[in-house]
Amino acid sequence: MLEFLGVIVLVALVVVLVPILLFRMMWRVAEPNEALVISGLHERKPEGVGESLGFKIITGKGTMVMPGVQMVRRLSLDLRETELQIDCVTQQGIPLKVRGVVIYKVGDDYASIANAARRFLDQQNQMDQRVHNLFAGHLRAIVGNMTVEEMIRDREKLTSLTREHAGTEMEKLGLIVDSMQIQEIVDPTGYIENLARPHAVAVLREARIAQAAADQVATQKEQEAEALKAQARRDSAIKQAGYQAEIDQASAVSKQAGPLSEATARQKVVVEETKVAELEAQRAEQQLQVEVRKPADAKAYERITLAKADRDSQISAAEAAAQRVKLEAIAAAEQTKIIGEAEAHATRAKGLAEGEAVKAKGLAEADSIKARAEALAEHQEAVIGQQLAEQWPAIVEAAAKPFGSIDQLIVLNGAEGISEALAQAVSQGAAGLQVARKLLSRQPENGRNGTSRRKGARQAAEEAISES
Amino acid sequence: MFRTDVERVRSVTNADGDVVGKVARVTGSIAPGRVGEVMIAVRGGSEAFHAYAADPAVTIDRGTRVLVVEYFPPRTVVVSPY
Repeated sequence: MLEFLGVIVLVALVVVLVPILLFRMMWRVAEPNEALVISGLHERKPEGVGESLGFKIITGKGTMVMPGVQMVRRLSLDLRETELQIDCVTQQGIPLKVRGVVIYKVGDDYASIANAARRFLDQQNQMDQRVHNLFAGHLRAIVGNMTVEEMIRDREKLTSLTREHAGTEMEKLGLIVDSMQIQEIVDPTGYIENLARPHAVAVLREARIAQAAADQVATQKEQEAEALKAQARRDSAIKQAGYQAEIDQASAVSKQAGPLSEATARQKVVVEETKVAELEAQRAEQQLQVEVRKPADAKAYERITLAKADRDSQISAAEAAAQRVKLEAIAAAEQTKIIGEAEAHATRAKGLAEGEAVKAKGLAEADSIKARAEALAEHQEAVIGQQLAEQWPAIVEAAAKPFGSIDQLIVLNGAEGISEALAQAVSQGAAGLQVARKLLSRQPENGRNGTSRRKGARQAAEEAISES
Repeated sequence: MFRTDVERVRSVTNADGDVVGKVARVTGSIAPGRVGEVMIAVRGGSEAFHAYAADPAVTIDRGTRVLVVEYFPPRTVVVSPY
């Protein structure tokens, strides 16, 4: 009974467990990151792939698999990555070593999964290697279409080129490129460094300029502050000196206060003494006045009075004498006047008489000259000869005057020479001429009273005298 | 084996990212002679597809919304500005 019961329990357990185990063996679940590729028995077209090669693709759910009849393989849809390290040349021909990484996965759609499953299902471990080989060529082409600057900056162009070059080819493998990154660019020619240098140098320049400007401003401010400090020190010193001077002055004043008061006191003493001296002097002066001056004044007054009296008496005497002299002089003048008048009368009378006499004599002489001139007009030669004869001694004397100063006269041509010399002396000498004129001037009335004919005769006579 | 015919039909049509008629967002600019990229919400997530413009002369910038007009499996769509 107990054995029977045990059998029943066992059978029941088997009946319960076997279907569970069978279900467990047949039910396969595709996890979110994988696809189940089921091949083998199938009674209908696989989902999504109309004309497939006859396998079924399950993603994201479970399915019954007939063990022994159907094969289940799992294809990972995980993200994969492969590193690339290639030597390549940019568009500008600059050689670079580029290190990049490609992130890719099997596409999520059935077509991609089918493509990938057919290519990689047994070689999922080698997928990275395959992609690496594929992408090395593509990356070389991509870099060859870009410049260094674009590689550094233009991500858009990099992804676009990646899509163009590699995307379609990866589609064939059922793979999609999620991302391609260039991780490192090794630049043996120093191109990138040189690219950066101008900017770096400019930045350095700006930095140095800024530093220098800041230094300058700081130094200026420091120096200004120093100057202000010095100024403050100077002002302080000046004020200190001023206060010190005031202190010194005050102390000097206080020091001198003693001597000053002493001096003031002494000054007052001296003033008083001076007053005393003045009073004494006044007293002495007054004494002097009394003793000396008054008597002297009295004596002087006495003398002056005496002298005045004396002078007055003398003046009176002198006035009296003067009066007497004046009267005497008047008397003498009267006398002299009377005498003079008498003499004048006598002289006038005598002069008048003499004048009458001269007048009478002149008239007589004029008549004689008149007569002689008339006679001369008639007998020229005779008159001249007579005149010359009359006057000859005077003429010769005058002519000989020049010879008088001569000690010795030597005549070379005899007697004729002497007479010639004398004639020349008479004719040339000024004295001779004057004599002749004097002779003629004794008869001025002749020429004046005579006619023109007589005058012409007189001129002829003068010429004759001067010629001879 | 437990599904109805209706379910099967829906499953087939929805099956592999029926993206035609969806609005997509351009993530890589589409230009003549270049391959663009669009992101399309599909299969409960969003996936990137290679994209060409329906009018080859059109240039479509990044961020533009476009309408998917044609689908070339596995990963290529033709779009036109929305």
